Amino acid sequence: MAGLLTVCRKELVDNLGSKRYMVFFALIIVLSTLSAYQGAQYIKENTSASFVAIFSGATNGFPFTTLMVFFGPIIGLSLGFDAINKEKTSGSLSVLLSQPIYRDSVLNGKFLAGIAALSLLTGSTIGIMSGVAIPILGFGPDLVAISRITVFTLLTILYLSFWLALGLVYSTVTKKATTSILMSVATWLFFSIVITIIAMLVANILAPTQLPSGFNGGGGFPGGGGFNSTGGFNQTGTQEYLARMQSQSAIQTNIQRISPAYLYNEASSAILGTTGGGGFGFIGRQGGDTPFRALDLAQGLMATWPQITAIAVCLVVCFASSYMLFLRQEIRPGD
Amino acid sequence: MSKPMIQTEELVKNYGNVKAVDHLNLIVYEGEIFGFLGPNGAGKTTTLLMLMGLSMPTSGTAVVAGYDIVKDSRKVRTVAAILPEGAGYYGDLTARQNLEYIAQLNDIPKLEREKRIKEFLEVVDLTKWTDTKVEKFSRGMKQRLGIAEVLIKKPRVAFFDEPTVGLDPQGTKDVRDIMFRLNKEQDLTIFLSSHLLHEVQQTCQRVGFIRGGKLVAADKIDNLSGKISGKEQIIIEFELTKTSPDLIRDIKSIDGVTSVEQEGNKLHVHMERNNSKEVSETIMKHDLTILMMKQKEYDLEEIFLKYYKEDD
Repeated sequence: MAGLLTVCRKELVDNLGSKRYMVFFALIIVLSTLSAYQGAQYIKENTSASFVAIFSGATNGFPFTTLMVFFGPIIGLSLGFDAINKEKTSGSLSVLLSQPIYRDSVLNGKFLAGIAALSLLTGSTIGIMSGVAIPILGFGPDLVAISRITVFTLLTILYLSFWLALGLVYSTVTKKATTSILMSVATWLFFSIVITIIAMLVANILAPTQLPSGFNGGGGFPGGGGFNSTGGFNQTGTQEYLARMQSQSAIQTNIQRISPAYLYNEASSAILGTTGGGGFGFIGRQGGDTPFRALDLAQGLMATWPQITAIAVCLVVCFASSYMLFLRQEIRPGD
Repeated sequence: MSKPMIQTEELVKNYGNVKAVDHLNLIVYEGEIFGFLGPNGAGKTTTLLMLMGLSMPTSGTAVVAGYDIVKDSRKVRTVAAILPEGAGYYGDLTARQNLEYIAQLNDIPKLEREKRIKEFLEVVDLTKWTDTKVEKFSRGMKQRLGIAEVLIKKPRVAFFDEPTVGLDPQGTKDVRDIMFRLNKEQDLTIFLSSHLLHEVQQTCQRVGFIRGGKLVAADKIDNLSGKISGKEQIIIEFELTKTSPDLIRDIKSIDGVTSVEQEGNKLHVHMERNNSKEVSETIMKHDLTILMMKQKEYDLEEIFLKYYKEDD
């Protein structure tokens, strides 16, 4: 492991001092603080909600989980996309490799430094959010909430590290940082915006909710009255409609599961015990004073281990491929 | 002769079907400045990368300062250092920080590190710029910083790959002077790869010519020059006030003169043995004045071209 610590230390200092890291850090801190404030308001209004709702409860803005779904990819990618190719272009890589170190130390060191920087970002953001929420609420997280927050923090770090590893792949396969930054931005847009649109379109084609004209216009009755008078017929229609809604939503979900961001969203909801995100939670809570059926942490982990494993596997695959590519590459000066 | 510092045996490197280095056998002795000369794409850089343990040879072996370049590649890099062509530095770090990083990667303890950074920044005359960010450096300064990075690990052998390419005359002179000084004062073995003939001629005690991955010749420059002169004739160059066809005809008729080439008012007289006395007398007879007369030396360029043209 000769050189690993030295490389890691240097890269960490570089990361923490880099403008892009500071910009994202500041952005996330500001938005998270706002969302923690909103989340705290939400908890005040919904006495049944647990402390962890500060991460998911912001209804008017972005809750922290949504922030991470949206900004996570670009934060992770931004720390990795030029790690290797920039040093290749500048020629410092050939100097670095001519030192008595193993070649993998360079990649490992950069990866670890990136994870450390992302952990710092995640940890301090979550810490600050809790710090903002406690005085507003007048109470802090209980033990259960603390364990949920801890697991959630680890999940977020894992998720961001995946994007970092993907950035490393880009920086290894491309020669120029301009190419890899474009790939990173494209990836970000695809997974945060495009995939949702595609999923909606495909789901709509496969299971259209627009019922055939026979069902809608069949009775020819004006307004809502028609539903009541021909109850039998319309009940079938409504059931059919609901079934189609469900299958459409299932198709959409499954397509979106290609995206690690979506997997992260599902897993974090389960871990925080806010099942299925805002929409479902809202329906669940309408019943009255009884708290909606939240999964406890162990159940949440059990329910979402496929999601968590998938993110971890993606991370390993990305890192392994950049590792193999890098070790096989011939680093010729001036390339 | 002192003992070998670098020794390659049948070193081969193929990229697909292209033979970048083809059964290279080379010895560089301790304490010498060895010039490794060849046109672009001849396999110089590939050879250097292999000797630093940065590229795996397809076959063959080499030993650098006692370490096998395949089995002990990391140890090779503790005793050998390279200034790669187009070497780069961390622009957002200062000269000191750049050196500090390289020194740390070489596991040099803190106190020793500080001492060496100071010492070698002095050697390359960058003391004034110790705490300046490297992005503000000129090309020549960067190259000198590169030399300091080579020296910081106190290597026994240093590879310089085209170290003066892109430098102005002053920068070139600085780099060359530093190399000489290190070779003399610290007994550093220097392996200088270059396509610049005069540079090698001025700097190196021994040269090796590489072409198409093959070593075509390796010897002292004088010996190489002698080898060619031995085979060929003597050429004497005369510069006259003017020339005439009659004169050329008369010179040609002198016993031993094989041919005469005219170039303005200059005559290149090729002869089997030194007949310059007769040639001078003939010129005097034509009432012409000799402005200049000299025997043509074979310079490296001709040796270079000579070896390159062979086998073509």
